[in-house]
Amino acid sequence: MQQMDQRELMTLQHYLKEYGQQAEIFVGQLELLENGRMEALAAIEALEDMLTTEDGTVLLQIGGGASVRAKVIEPEKILLSIGAEVVVERSNKEAVEFLKERIIEMEASQKRVAETLDHLRGQMNEINKRLESGYQQSAAAEKDQD
Amino acid sequence: MFGGLKEKLLAARNRLGTSIQGALAKQESLTTEATDTEPESSSVYRKTPSLKPPTFANKVKVLITERELIVSEKDISEALSELEITLLESDVALPVTDAIITHVKNNLVGKHRKIGESVDALVTEALKSALLDVLGKGFNLNEYIRTHVRPVKILFTGVNGTGKTTTVAKIGAYLKKNGYTVVIGAGDTYRAGAIEQIGVHAERIGIKIIQHQEGADPSAVLFDAVQYAVSHKTDVVLADTAGRFHTKSNLMNQLEKIRRVMKPDLIVYVDEAVAGNDAVIRAAEFDRTVGADAVVLTKADMDSRGGAAISIAHTIGKPLMFLGTGQGYDDIIPFDPALVVEDLLGSDSDA
Repeated sequence: MQQMDQRELMTLQHYLKEYGQQAEIFVGQLELLENGRMEALAAIEALEDMLTTEDGTVLLQIGGGASVRAKVIEPEKILLSIGAEVVVERSNKEAVEFLKERIIEMEASQKRVAETLDHLRGQMNEINKRLESGYQQSAAAEKDQD
Repeated sequence: MFGGLKEKLLAARNRLGTSIQGALAKQESLTTEATDTEPESSSVYRKTPSLKPPTFANKVKVLITERELIVSEKDISEALSELEITLLESDVALPVTDAIITHVKNNLVGKHRKIGESVDALVTEALKSALLDVLGKGFNLNEYIRTHVRPVKILFTGVNGTGKTTTVAKIGAYLKKNGYTVVIGAGDTYRAGAIEQIGVHAERIGIKIIQHQEGADPSAVLFDAVQYAVSHKTDVVLADTAGRFHTKSNLMNQLEKIRRVMKPDLIVYVDEAVAGNDAVIRAAEFDRTVGADAVVLTKADMDSRGGAAISIAHTIGKPLMFLGTGQGYDDIIPFDPALVVEDLLGSDSDA
């Protein structure tokens, strides 16, 4: 096998670093998607529970970990952000359906991002193997010279 | 790419088609009753302007004399509302959604349709025409370079982490493949590792790169890149810059200085398609502060909703130039509105 020179090793290190940075971005996107999914699930739970609570009292978070008891005047009418910074009024059931659709979309996106991440990690493994083999060759060559 | 939007648009098209079909079937059923009471010929109605809101009497007469049916606003108002929601849910900006709905409405209301003619084709055509209207003409970079004095200097701007440096490399590879000589200016001297990153890209695709030390003045790097291009008769200078938010005044001033020093022919704003409406808002801000001549949207392959791609050209009035669609250097496609619309709504034969 032909021995790798230092320049080739450096290039491989750069590739590895760059792939690592790209992988970090995709991991960040996965986290965002997961947060969005969890938020939507929590919203669905709250919307469904609102219809079944007897007096319509909910805990309203006001920031800083503080909450107040609040009464929902119209648990059937939900103001929903549907995208493009547009808020529309929907029935409770429609809002739940919308959120469920969004969850499906987010899960599909998660799948795509995860596939890309797997692909990147595969490439990183390949580079790692080549780097490892290059280091071993360099070490062996140095030993021979000694 | 834009799979969710495609699915929703096709569903909206079918709903529109069904609404029109239902309304027209009612008109057709009136034929028998009407032929008993209405005179057979009336050339006046042949000359009726075809896109005026039709009256009931007009509808019946046109049906009898010309064997045509007319679509009224009422026939499609519900389906149009659903289309509006569909577009908004796909993160298409509100003014763009309005423009599409108005275009489709103007195109369909008052439209004469021959009995037996496909409603789907009529609706598909109206939707295609509306989308083409908001998508603009795109931006043919090859043609721009062919018709301008060289070196053509292209400055890339945008916020952090959207894939600007990779986009510069991809466009470099694209231009090289199209027979142009290219030099890259490593103007992102701020982010750790950015100079190395673009250096590796340039080496891999075989493009000359001009770079200084980390922390150097980006204006000086890009000035040197332009000087290199002039002295070596290079066709294109691609100037990478550090990502920045439009709210950071010191970094925006730096960009202004770069603009003064290298005098770019084109300023290209880079953002990610997955950012949806945020990308549209940021592009508008950048256009206001440093200007933008064209836009590149990265990560379009990850974007199921397509809102940014549909909205950006119409909202900021600047064309979309490329869509980034993957990790490889070849994963960049020139934005062709006709192809995108065709992909979203299928060919006529599918209608």
